[in-house]
Amino acid sequence: MDWVFLSELAINGALTGLLYSLFAIGLVLIYKASSVPNLAQGGLTMVGAYVVLALARDVGLPLWLAIPLAAVVMFGLGFGIERVALRRLAGRPVVMILMLTLGLDIFLRGTTLAIWGGTSRSMELGVSYDPLFLGDIFISRIHLVGAGVALALFVGFMLFFQTRTGIKLRAIADDYMASWSVGISVERGVGLSWALASVVAVAAGVIWGEIQGVDQALSLLLLKGLTVAVLGGLDSILGAVIAGIILGVVENVGADFLDPLVGGGSRELIVAAVLILTVMIRPHGLFGRHDIERV
Amino acid sequence: MQEKVEAQNILSMNSVEVLYDNVMLAIKGVSVQVPKGEMIALLGSNGAGKSTTLKAISGLLKAERGRISRGEITFQGTDITEALAQKRVEMGICHVIEGRRVFEHLTPDENLTAAAPRGMSRSTLNAEKDKIYAYFPRLAERKNSQAGYLSGGEQQMLAIGRALVTQPKLLMLDEPSLGLAPFLVEEIFGILQKINNDEGLSVLLVEQNALAALEIVSQGYLIENGRVVMHGTAEALKSNSDIQEFYLGGGETDFHNVKHYSRRKRWLS
Repeated sequence: MDWVFLSELAINGALTGLLYSLFAIGLVLIYKASSVPNLAQGGLTMVGAYVVLALARDVGLPLWLAIPLAAVVMFGLGFGIERVALRRLAGRPVVMILMLTLGLDIFLRGTTLAIWGGTSRSMELGVSYDPLFLGDIFISRIHLVGAGVALALFVGFMLFFQTRTGIKLRAIADDYMASWSVGISVERGVGLSWALASVVAVAAGVIWGEIQGVDQALSLLLLKGLTVAVLGGLDSILGAVIAGIILGVVENVGADFLDPLVGGGSRELIVAAVLILTVMIRPHGLFGRHDIERV
Repeated sequence: MQEKVEAQNILSMNSVEVLYDNVMLAIKGVSVQVPKGEMIALLGSNGAGKSTTLKAISGLLKAERGRISRGEITFQGTDITEALAQKRVEMGICHVIEGRRVFEHLTPDENLTAAAPRGMSRSTLNAEKDKIYAYFPRLAERKNSQAGYLSGGEQQMLAIGRALVTQPKLLMLDEPSLGLAPFLVEEIFGILQKINNDEGLSVLLVEQNALAALEIVSQGYLIENGRVVMHGTAEALKSNSDIQEFYLGGGETDFHNVKHYSRRKRWLS
């Protein structure tokens, strides 16, 4: 057994996993407020990346300015989605809202295809691709940067949910009717959660765009992101971070063992197995909340 | 003379009809007046339309696809028939909905924070919280535990405390005694009376437990089948023979009286 190689797989798996977490945090934010897994989160991530590119390449702004500006644009887009589409669905069955987010994802993919075409564009963040060695272990710099961003967002949101606005958002997640009864604007809260998730999508879009190029395939991150969110418990940001690390390590290490046996492609199988097993064995995930039943 | 009466009523509800889903008539012309600073009870049996009356006043009907199809509601002289629920809370109407409904995954302290009006300063909020903890010492003891694990009585206190954070002028409570032991009902009603005394808070109380309610209110309305069928002072209602028989209990329950009951009940509706 080659321990150095194994730890290299594990560490890089954990870093990749944190990039999944980066994506999954957006899903969790929306699930917390509206109890719906947002199937358009992949689409939002892709649009986030395209908006950054549009501002940087087409308008010619420097990246350090283009990224925050894109975050502002996406913040507005998130609010707009609640205002235009979701508000009309208040009080309807959750499956209707789920279908709406699916429609939204298809719409976003179609829109980017119409405006920017299907050719992959590069993000060119300027992060060096020179290998970084930690002892004998090789680490990818961009993954390290992305993992840092994910952890920073995690800490930021943990603090945010202790503020008054954050507490109101958690109250909305608990009980819409009770929130209305004390004058909390549920609509504004849901809008804010979409806006924040759209900002997270910019961060995920930039990092993942750098890694795999910006095209419609970015929206397929939804599958891994959703697996991480479900494993973490859908409404727990801490869960999303830990589940991301777990999935990343299991996927990276597991694929190394399984690939020679099945001739490659076992990564997707591992992700699928994790998703299916979580739903079957522990439907509320690692950190998802149970509904409290007092005896 | 008419205007003077209007000015004394903090809430005035005139011939209000409520439709659910555009077809089901839940209340049929209910008129209720709440004089400023007084405690008023809405009495009646299950499904009589008491909760619907409160929701019409607080604006929470919308969340259940109901609407006011006739009549008007004025609060401090302002027509609020069409106002949004959020606006009504800002104006000073707070509705403690049935079944307590605390934010279970938040602590009691966070429950209070969540209800803080937009723009309330931190010091005002802390002062409000201190006041509420003084009224409900049991909440203060458990303010950092998870609200979902509080006892039923503590949750009801939290629901009332949460409503008080919005600084209401009219507090409406829907069945606060539901599922609580008699000594707790007495404790909670005692505190309500104290708040009413100390701060001049007007209270509209919906209760099935007429006996407990009539002890603390000044006037009561009896609602049956979506209509007000009786209105009077608490004393008058307590001594009314129909009320005594149907809502306060007591008396013999032999076969003769059971027949008597159904005959009289028909008269009421």
